[in-house]
Parts: sequence; C-alpha cells; structure tokens
Amino acid sequence: MESRVTLFRNVMGFMGALRKAGLPADPAGAIELCEGLRFIDIGSPADFQATARTTLMFRKEDLARFDVVFREYWLQQKRPFNRLAENDETEIEGPEPQPEQDDNIGDDDGPDKEERRASYSADEIIARKDLATLTDAEIERARRLIRQFVAAFATLRSRRHQRSRRGQLLDFRRMLRRTAVQGSDATEFYYRRRKIRRTRLMLLCDVSGSMERYSRFLLEFIYGLRRELPDTEVAVFATRMTVITDLLEARSVARSLREVARRAGDWGSGTDIGGCLRDFNDRYARDMLTTDTVVVLLSDGWDRGDAQLMRDEIEHLRRRAHRIIWLNPLLGNSDYEPLTRGMRTALPHLDHFLPAHNLESLARLAQTLRTALN
Amino acid sequence: MTTAELNSIDAVATALTDRRYIPDRALATTVFLALRLGKPIFLEGEPGVGKTELAKVLAEILGTPLIRLQCYEGLDTHTALYEWNYPRQMLELRLQEARGIDKEQIGADIFSADYLLERPLLKAIQHAGAQAPVLLIDEVDRSDEEFEAFLLEVLSDFQISIPEIGTITAQQVPVVVLTSNRTRELHDALKRRCLYHWIDYPDVAKEIEIVQARLPGVENDLANQLAFFMQRVRSEDLYKRPGIAETIDWAAALLALGTDELDRDTVDATLGCILKYKGDIEKLQTTGLEKLLSEAQEARAFAESPTTR
Repeated sequence: MESRVTLFRNVMGFMGALRKAGLPADPAGAIELCEGLRFIDIGSPADFQATARTTLMFRKEDLARFDVVFREYWLQQKRPFNRLAENDETEIEGPEPQPEQDDNIGDDDGPDKEERRASYSADEIIARKDLATLTDAEIERARRLIRQFVAAFATLRSRRHQRSRRGQLLDFRRMLRRTAVQGSDATEFYYRRRKIRRTRLMLLCDVSGSMERYSRFLLEFIYGLRRELPDTEVAVFATRMTVITDLLEARSVARSLREVARRAGDWGSGTDIGGCLRDFNDRYARDMLTTDTVVVLLSDGWDRGDAQLMRDEIEHLRRRAHRIIWLNPLLGNSDYEPLTRGMRTALPHLDHFLPAHNLESLARLAQTLRTALN
Repeated sequence: MTTAELNSIDAVATALTDRRYIPDRALATTVFLALRLGKPIFLEGEPGVGKTELAKVLAEILGTPLIRLQCYEGLDTHTALYEWNYPRQMLELRLQEARGIDKEQIGADIFSADYLLERPLLKAIQHAGAQAPVLLIDEVDRSDEEFEAFLLEVLSDFQISIPEIGTITAQQVPVVVLTSNRTRELHDALKRRCLYHWIDYPDVAKEIEIVQARLPGVENDLANQLAFFMQRVRSEDLYKRPGIAETIDWAAALLALGTDELDRDTVDATLGCILKYKGDIEKLQTTGLEKLLSEAQEARAFAESPTTR
C-alpha cells in the first residue's frame, strides 16, 4: 500500500515536471498512466517509459523532449521503479524546462527594440497610414473590391451536403420519409447540394521598412477584410510576429492604430520572414489555424533572414492551413526584379502568388481567386 | 488467440513477430495496453512504415474480421455509419400500400433494421462474435474536422443513435486502430482519447529483419545491401522518402528478377519501386547512384567491422 502511494506521488511529481517543460500533462492522462502501470512490469524502465509516452503524449514534436524529461526525472534522480517502498523525502521537483528555441524573441526584447521605437514615433506612423487621406470615392471603391475578394473565399463549396430546394442530387432519405407519410402517389422531389464552406482568414502582414509605401493600402485591406469576415485574425511582422486582432476591435481607428504601432515595436524595420513564421507556427498556429483557414500573406518578400528556414516554415504553415495565398505588392511593378531569394524558396508551397499593389490589382485578384479556388 | 492470451508485452511482441510483423518494444507496449485498457491506438508516421499493416496483423492474431474505414474529405455518416436501402424501401412501400396497410405502420416498417445498410462504424459496433473486431480508421488526417468531431463521439462511448430506430450500443468494444500520415494536424482531443505511438523509419538492423521476415527468399547479403542503401536514400532531401513498404516491394522485385547483388544498373532499372516522384528520381541520379551505393557499402563495412562492435 505504502509503495503504491509512493509511486502515485512520484507519478504526480512527474506530471509536474512534464508541465514545467511545457508538455501535455492532464489528470486524465495521469489516470490512464496509472491504469496502464497495473498491467506492465514497472521494474523495467523501458516499458515504464513506453507506457508513459503512449498514454500521455500525442504529438510527435513532443516525444524527444518527453524522453529527456523522463530520463531526468526517473533515471537520473534514481526514483525507484522496483523498490517502491523506498521513500525519498526530497521535494518532488522536475528538471529545468528545456531551453526553447525562442532566442530571437528574447533578442527582440533587448535594447534594439527601444531603438526602433524611438526612431518611429506613433504619430508619424499614423500620419503615414491615415485612412482619411483616401478620398471618399476611393474608399468606396476599395470596399467594393475587398468584398469581391472575400466573396471568392466565402463561396467555396464544401464536400458536405445540405438540404436544398433544387440541385442535382436527390435527397432520398427525406423523400422516403415524406412518401411514407403521404403515400407514394404524392412523391415530391427533394435535393441536396454541396454546402458552402465556412472560411476563416488569417492575415499576416509584413510591416517592415520596404513595405512602408503600401501601408495605406495595407490598412484599408485589413479593415476591409475585417468588415466582411469579422472573425478574420490579423498579425503583423517584421522581425517578430505580433497578433493585433484584439486591437482592431477598438471603435476609434486612430486609437487602435496607435496601439498597433506601439505593440508591434518592429514596425518599419528589417525583415526576417522565416523567423517570424517560425514564431507564428510555434506560438499561434495551433490556436488560430483550422483546416478551414485561408492564410493570406501580404509581403514583398524582401527577406534578410534564412531562406531555408523560411521555406521550411511556409511548408509547415501549409500543412496546417487550407490554402496559402501570397499577395505581393511588388509583383505589379514593371521594373521589379521578379524574385527575391526568400520568395523563390517559398514558391512551391504556395497555392497562389498574386500581385496586390493597389486597388486596381485587387479587382483582378478577386476574379483570379474565384476561378482558381473552386 | 484471444485478448486474454496476450497477457504481457512479450506475448504481444511474439504474436506480432510470428505473423511477420517486427514491432519495437514501445509499439508492443502500446498494443498491449490498448487491449488491456480498451482504448484506441493512434498511429502516426510517414507513409509506408507499417501503420495499416499493424491493424491487419492484429485482426489476424485475434482471428476477427478487420473492418476498415478509409477516410477522405467530406466523409459523412452515410458512408461511415449507415445508410437506408432506398430501393428496397421504395418497393416495400408500394407493396404495403397495395395491401392497404395503414400509413403509420408502413413508416415504422420501412425504417426498421431490415432496411439499414451497415457501414464500417455501425458494423464494428453491431459485430456479434466471440471476439471483438478490429476497426481500422485509416488516414484519418484526410477527413475533415466535422468528421473528426463525430469520431470523437463514437470512440468515447461506442454507441450510435439512429433517429428512426434508437440507440445501438456495442456488444464488445472493438479494437480500434487509427492511422495518420500527418498531412494535417489532428485535433488534440481525438488524439488524447487514444494511446499514441509514432512509428519511425526502422533502423538498419530492424529493416534487415523485416525484409527477411516478409520475404524469406531474400539472401542475407542482399537484405543487408538493400537496408543500408535505403538508409542512405532516406538521408537525401526527397519530396517523398521511401518507407519500409517500398523496401519490401523492391526486395520482391529483385527477387523476381533473380538479382542477388545491388549494382548501378539494377538500381537504375528498379528505382521506380522506391521513388514515386519524377523529381526524386532525378535528384538521386544527379547525386549519382554509384556514389550512393559506395557510401551505403562504406556504412555497412563500418557497422560490421569488429572494432565498432
């Protein structure tokens, strides 16, 4: 009995160690592990480890770290498997959490962030990105185009069916039910059709220095999309990823812009697309992306970061999202050297790579997407 | 063999090996626990590492039918669970009407179990036999989220409600195996409900063992050459890396050709067995098949040299 209690306490300590290391460790898993332990020889570390891993883990990415934590907790600290009665009075403590690969995030909080903030005051940014400088007619036009752009996604057909008054597929089930009630002479036709897919948008906007010129367009774009698809998520990046969706809720556009500029301390600086995407994949992708999500990446592709990293991260992103569309303002430019290094590496993983430098190109965009996506 | 007879990890490992499936210890543990705890097994891994095969072998060992549900986007209850047999219903309706049977009664008659077409999930739940069936839900990453949610529900209580009939509960909980190639991330909730195991590419020793277990006709030397070559190929940056299934295919092809030695020309002629993309084949040919072969040879010589033992 004593030994069971000790084992149980050690298992709970182990769960704490896992949690510290950022690994999944919920009570349901702990219960399952304890149940599993009843059936195996807990004197064998390998079997014990396999049991813990199969009951607690459920992501490949976590497995290597799990093995490390397991080794440190059970083997290095010599917590007994077989001599369970032996009680160790020491405080149950997990190993130090593994260093995460967030070096670049840490760096950003360093002094150079202050420098960037100082060089771009919030007011300057607002002046440059003030929506009021667009004429009313332009705004009206932009909104119409953005509506079309959004409509291209919003009418995607799912492979699922729903009832419909007309269509090509008969809804036999419904017909038979009706017929059973009304008699076979009164057979009516019911149909099914493919459902409209609920699409969500994730907008990733490059706000680095090279994108400054397009920032007015960019903001109109963000707000336009949010108007049409209110659950669109928005993040901006240059040297790090900043999610700004919540800031866009604010009633005053000017105030929320000031907030955005404050939070995204890297506005107007250099670009590290690969690093930012990694940041996004690590921190946000799991919560923000579903298989219905269309990711729209708005960037000129000028990248000072690692091209290979960027390729890998885009590939990663591709697996999580429904589609990835890269809108590039420079593509519309006639004297633009067509492909920067970073962008070239990313091309194979994109679903669409389209120009978007002004409102005119948006019009073409909507049309292209409508035919391409369905 | 019954689940009761598989009473230890070793018993499971032996049973699998007897059926020419070579498990590693961790996988045998997962299978053993799944049988004991009555939980589904969730297998992830690259294509061709033996995920589906495990379910087949399990069914063989347990002597029960393998009920397979292949997933795809848009998979719905009509294909996964049940469907009504409309033509039969329609006929019966006409007949009963002609006989002047009351309409209420007709409705009850044609929506009864006789007119139900069983699809895999219902079949697994309704299975009546001494031993629970093995339910293989293959490539669940290809289904969509709606189906995933539905699956979560079915896998937690193994009961299904059909509005016209009522609730059907499983006689015995089936042995469920889910597989995923990770073309997309599945929701954690579903994976949490299962015993998770990631099947990796086998190491050389295991690959040799697998080839020889599957194809006893392959000479020891050729099996070695194949395994080392495959390890080398997998280290290349390919669009789709060959799995153990490809190694077995390849070995079978070489066996049929009567080859007992891997050389440049043989590899060149049979490369299609292991690489399924034109780009990948071109990539290997640019790297140079001879170079790959000699590197594989070196690795083998190094592994077999007594000093490293």
